[in-house]
Amino acid sequence: MEIAAGLDWLQHTALAVQIRDSLFLFPLLESAHVIGLSLVVGTIAIVDLRLLGVASAHRPFQRLAADTLKWTWVAFALTALTGALMFITNAAVYFHNSYFRAKVVLLVLAGLNVLVFELTAGRTVAQWDRAPSPPPLARAVATLSLVIWVAVIVTGRMIGFTATRASLTEPTPVDTNFEDLLGLPAAGDAAPPPAKGPE
Amino acid sequence: MRDFALWLANTSPSVFIQEHNAWAIPAIQSVHIAGIALVMGSVLMIDLRILGWTWTDQTLSDTTRRFGPWLTGSLWLLLATGLLMVIGEPVRELVTFSFWLKMGLVALGALVAVTFQRTLRRHERHWEDTLVHRPPVKLLAIGTFLIWVCIIVLGRLIAYDHVWGSWSPAVGQ
Repeated sequence: MEIAAGLDWLQHTALAVQIRDSLFLFPLLESAHVIGLSLVVGTIAIVDLRLLGVASAHRPFQRLAADTLKWTWVAFALTALTGALMFITNAAVYFHNSYFRAKVVLLVLAGLNVLVFELTAGRTVAQWDRAPSPPPLARAVATLSLVIWVAVIVTGRMIGFTATRASLTEPTPVDTNFEDLLGLPAAGDAAPPPAKGPE
Repeated sequence: MRDFALWLANTSPSVFIQEHNAWAIPAIQSVHIAGIALVMGSVLMIDLRILGWTWTDQTLSDTTRRFGPWLTGSLWLLLATGLLMVIGEPVRELVTFSFWLKMGLVALGALVAVTFQRTLRRHERHWEDTLVHRPPVKLLAIGTFLIWVCIIVLGRLIAYDHVWGSWSPAVGQ
């Protein structure tokens, strides 16, 4: 019950109301979220591909990681902030959405995966810093990391198809006009699209 | 364009995607986003190297040789998945202002990327010794990054084309 009250409070904050009522804010938050996450995943892939010996294999790992991961953190901050702002616009719905929950679990797994690396291969990095092919455990962590981040993208995209923005109780002008354009009968007669929201 | 979109919507590849849209559309979009991640990671690193903010133990040519092929490869992946999205939802994509503005910027972004890689290869020393230190080149690096940022925003706005008001062909007809 306390969680339900907290979620309810969140989506009634002035900030949440303002984002919901704005025509531009939610799409812009989504855009900034995609910009942030593409930089997070893109920079992490650079480090993972080095660990796998696929790209930058002859560049010292520590230098590459230091040069790359600081930008990952900047991008992660942008992604987390925009994600939180989108969450509060419809907190109760997102909280109970299975894809949202799966995505949170995957993000925790990504963190644990880094922890495993730091406690194992990361401790012996001085020995393999220049090796084109790092130890098997480091390569396993890198593979798992790539898989987890692709899964984060998939679950994130699925949230958009399964959770509705609270403010969009009426069809948007675009929805209405597409039906007119296609000469389709009004929604309800045709096969319902799988997407409820503005995916 | 609307007629073309409606014609495309009735072709068999389009019908196939529409019939399997519950998994096909999110799957194609997810691969598209993974491709965007590779593009953004590569563009960020090349641009930051031009600015001298990162990868400074590598030359500009080394950095571009590392990321250029990944950038080009990812752009092909984006073209392929983008085409599948157009085939799968022709009206949603083609009858929007956001989509066509995005395509214009994609053409510009790709042209800059290809031209840069070519001239760098041809005039490597000139780039390393002088060009990379020039303010206009640094501005160009920031400009290119912003082009790709705008492309992402426009890609998202395809789903919200009504924000353009009367500029959107999907509004007010």
